[in-house]
Amino acid sequence: MFEQFKTDLRWAGVRQNLVAWVFLLPFVFVYVAFLIYPFCRGVWISLHDWNLLAVTFNPDAKTFIGLDNYLRLFWGTEMTWRAWARPVLQGLCVLAALFCVWRYRTGELRWSTLWQCLMALLLLMFFFGWAPGEGGRWFDRRFWPTVGNTVFFVAMVVPAITLISLLLATALNRETRGAAFLRTLFFLSQVLSVTVVTLIWQMMFSARQGLLANVVREFGGVPLSWLAEPGFAMAAIVIATVWWSIGIAMVLFLAGLQDIPQEMQEAAKLDRANSVQAFWYIILPNLKRTITLVVILQIILHFQVFGQAHLMTQGGPNDQTQVLVRYIYQTAFRDSDLGIASAMAVFLFVIMSVFSAVQFMVSREDEQ
Amino acid sequence: MLYAKNRKLIATAQAVVNYKDKKAEKVITMRKTFVSMIAAAALSAGAVMPAFGTEVTLGRFFGSCQDAGTDVSAAVGEACIIQSIINAFDAENDDFDVTTLPTDWGNYYDQIIASYASGNPPDVHVMHRHRIPEYGQIGALADLTDDLMAHGIDPDDWTESAREAVTWNDRILGVPMDLHANLWHVNMDLMEAAGLVEDGRPILPSSPEEMMEHAEMVREATGQYYLAADFSEFEIGVRMVLAFLWQQDSNIFANGTATINTPEARNALELITGLFDGDYANSRTNYADSQQSFLNGEAAVLVNGTWVVDFYAEQAADEDVELTNYYVADFPTLYDEPATWADSHLWAIPASVQRDDPEVYEGALKLLAFINDHNIDWARTGHAAVRESVLNSDEYAELPHRSEYDNTVNIARDTPASARYGAIQDILNREFQAIWLTGKSIDAALSDAEEDVQSQLDR
Amino acid sequence: MKTMENRRLALLYTMLALPAFIWLVPTLWMVSLSLQPNALLARTTSNTFWGLIPYPLTLDNYLNLLAHGQVHVWFFNSLVVALGMTIGVLVLSTTAGYAFARLNFVGKKTLLVLVLLGLMIPEQAVFIPLYTLFSELGWHNSHHGLIIPRLAVPIGVFIMIQFFRGVTRDVEEAARIDGANTFQIFWHVMLPLARPAMMTVAILTFLYAWNDYLWPLVSAQRTEHFTITLGLASLQSNFAQSEGLGSVMASGVIASLPVVALFLIFQRYVVRAVAVGGSKG
Repeated sequence: MFEQFKTDLRWAGVRQNLVAWVFLLPFVFVYVAFLIYPFCRGVWISLHDWNLLAVTFNPDAKTFIGLDNYLRLFWGTEMTWRAWARPVLQGLCVLAALFCVWRYRTGELRWSTLWQCLMALLLLMFFFGWAPGEGGRWFDRRFWPTVGNTVFFVAMVVPAITLISLLLATALNRETRGAAFLRTLFFLSQVLSVTVVTLIWQMMFSARQGLLANVVREFGGVPLSWLAEPGFAMAAIVIATVWWSIGIAMVLFLAGLQDIPQEMQEAAKLDRANSVQAFWYIILPNLKRTITLVVILQIILHFQVFGQAHLMTQGGPNDQTQVLVRYIYQTAFRDSDLGIASAMAVFLFVIMSVFSAVQFMVSREDEQ
Repeated sequence: MLYAKNRKLIATAQAVVNYKDKKAEKVITMRKTFVSMIAAAALSAGAVMPAFGTEVTLGRFFGSCQDAGTDVSAAVGEACIIQSIINAFDAENDDFDVTTLPTDWGNYYDQIIASYASGNPPDVHVMHRHRIPEYGQIGALADLTDDLMAHGIDPDDWTESAREAVTWNDRILGVPMDLHANLWHVNMDLMEAAGLVEDGRPILPSSPEEMMEHAEMVREATGQYYLAADFSEFEIGVRMVLAFLWQQDSNIFANGTATINTPEARNALELITGLFDGDYANSRTNYADSQQSFLNGEAAVLVNGTWVVDFYAEQAADEDVELTNYYVADFPTLYDEPATWADSHLWAIPASVQRDDPEVYEGALKLLAFINDHNIDWARTGHAAVRESVLNSDEYAELPHRSEYDNTVNIARDTPASARYGAIQDILNREFQAIWLTGKSIDAALSDAEEDVQSQLDR
Repeated sequence: MKTMENRRLALLYTMLALPAFIWLVPTLWMVSLSLQPNALLARTTSNTFWGLIPYPLTLDNYLNLLAHGQVHVWFFNSLVVALGMTIGVLVLSTTAGYAFARLNFVGKKTLLVLVLLGLMIPEQAVFIPLYTLFSELGWHNSHHGLIIPRLAVPIGVFIMIQFFRGVTRDVEEAARIDGANTFQIFWHVMLPLARPAMMTVAILTFLYAWNDYLWPLVSAQRTEHFTITLGLASLQSNFAQSEGLGSVMASGVIASLPVVALFLIFQRYVVRAVAVGGSKG
């Protein structure tokens, strides 16, 4: 009797496993075959001197070179270590460390997490201390500036989008026709494809045919070639990107606003708080989690910027708008250097996973 | 018919949209969707392949021309002339069916590499002389040497430089179509106003100092720019610098050693930045803007290639266009020896097509023979022909403006052959733009460029 | 009180009118340029009211495109790819999401962590090896070649797990007591319930597919396999050389119309959908 029960139980367990795997198999197969395996393969390629064209015609044309590709990116000649070799990157680390400590002091970060973060940042600080000294130079002069441009782009776009979409969401969070119409209008540009967006803005910024130039000329000014002007080219890309992508952020904020209990807003009204006070004391604290979410999603998304730089400025002038993904694309498909391109892709993955890890940590800490 | 097709597509989209909340109708709608999707697929497949001959796919840049038709003699401009030649071949040959895949210039070589690497190259495609080493050294291109004569292509009729352009290790890997070079396109009215015309010909500078004097004369007389060119997008500016380098008997590299950080390069770059500093030229213009400013009569000289001669001539004849008196001149010699940047367009067939697909290979060769026969039509764009028989014909000599720049073929040059040509040009373009757009010092740019080019040569 | 509220609303809308106008102008300008003759645009783009009013007006640019262009082929490709991707992602993410959220099996925790780790791999980090892999398989220049890479991205699974976890167990228990097996429960009980979350996944996937640029750029090398996003990019510079600005802009408008129409029809769902995905993510 008991034996029978045990077999039944075991059989039930096997059955349950089988059923579960029927559900899982399609996804797991695709996932392993087209994400995990390619990723590992990417790491493997990054350890080779691998010319795309040459390897196509002769599979043996690749040579294993270990970490040389990474060395080419991260290293140079006459490398020396100094405490403030790269103030911007190292400064960012210090800021991040201060932020962690502050989160810990406000009780939002556990001791162990804080400790892990600080250790990681210290390591980064140390790594960034290495730079070419007297008479030395980076093996790849363009890599770090490209990373810098990408970071700068993210640092401009993310706060702008977050702020504008937050204000718009607050203003349009009401059940009137006008608000619905405006919500649609501000979201609309989000559904355009990157080629249409760049098409429009390339023309907008053109010094000869652009709308901005037409207006400026009307008032007797001399129009600017935004896309060729140092400093303005990046600004142009940032403006186009902000115009393009406030939609999703705005909707996320609208959703967050819907979750704020109606009574709180009513109470604020009874207290005769004006809109600014209501925004500051009611809305903002309640939206904290949504803001974090929006910021991190945007960072991950915009770190992968490609189309805008590729189509609007081709990375120019003088590489000022060259971004990481475009550099990867060019290295792989113009220069046929799959090895180095893959090493850069792995670097991109590392950066992305740091942000993802932060997001994961933040949402986990919030739930506790 | 076409409208019906589009309506059907929209209907498809709507069918997909409508599925919400209608459980009972769902299955029916889905089936409808599926049917109309298949219908749409059949229709668009039909639109791509109208006839039934062997399909030959053709990859090219030059831009798209939708109304090309089959009348080669009526076409103007690179895009329309080449497309009308292809269309005419297609109409004459029922056995073959050419599908043109026009790719945008900016991504062209990236996509050609990607197509080769995925084993899917177009059956015949255009490329430049300077790419031959990159593709030749890995055996990507079909060896046409023994098949040309049989198809009515006579390599001995080609000019020596054209034969060199398509030859790699003594084998012919392509069919040359032209020699194209940097020219000075001149607005004669502005030059006349500045007193720079003599015997109906523009007076062009013969030294750097003279160029600045001319620039000042144009500025004083007309208030317009002396010179316009694309300094902020493609490599037109780089090609100017290269010409000035060669004119001083210098080059960017030789025998695997980069030689960019030289006094000659400094001279060339100072000459150009001098134009910007004196406000005789605008460094911010891209390709389209520089062309437009020339057509609008805002610059006396436009530095651009041979590919636009017929287009500008046509524009000059247009009453609505400011430019009316158009002249084409050889790139002037400002230093010791004459030189201008030049390259060649040529057609190549992938080795895989020759090996695996004799029927397609046959079609591709026939098409190349047809293009070779129409060398005179392609020359109408302004490019130099590659066939001696064409070059010596009266028809060629009588092409508009042709006599004005007939020395260009003699002074044409390019940088030494290298499999990393594209990357090297990109380095030069970036560093030179850094000088005139972002104010980087010439010394710093040249030393950076030299190191970067050297590391490309060392790869 | 009511009038006061109205006055405040009026003030708000006046304040928003300017940004709204600024937000709209670029799109309006594109439409306006697409309706003007190419020959005119070659000379000036500010003919009437800085070019914002299409006068003189012509439909030639559109007629030309529809008669000759490959735009309808690209549009069809985009539609197949976007729909195929959406359906594929829906199937994979609902089944896997359900299994992770509700079924017990050996190694569940490990597998779940593995899948969540996949969230950190950006598409751009695997597009090179994927490219070489697809070359070996001969999958480039095809619809499935454009669809499959995205199927592996686990964000859909993640959203579905979150959703299924939130469904109370009572519904499932009741069905089980009625004698339904796991498949029946999934099909008849869970899927109908999961509609809003599926809508989220569907819309995000569709938008992504429609707008993706990098992968089609390397995988589709032949114009007849281009998606509308990619085709448009090639038109931009091809047309700039020959056909003129009006045609370029017309192609932009044509490429945008369907997705804008879809959005306007679906907009309530889009807004809700993003919100569901967002607040759970």
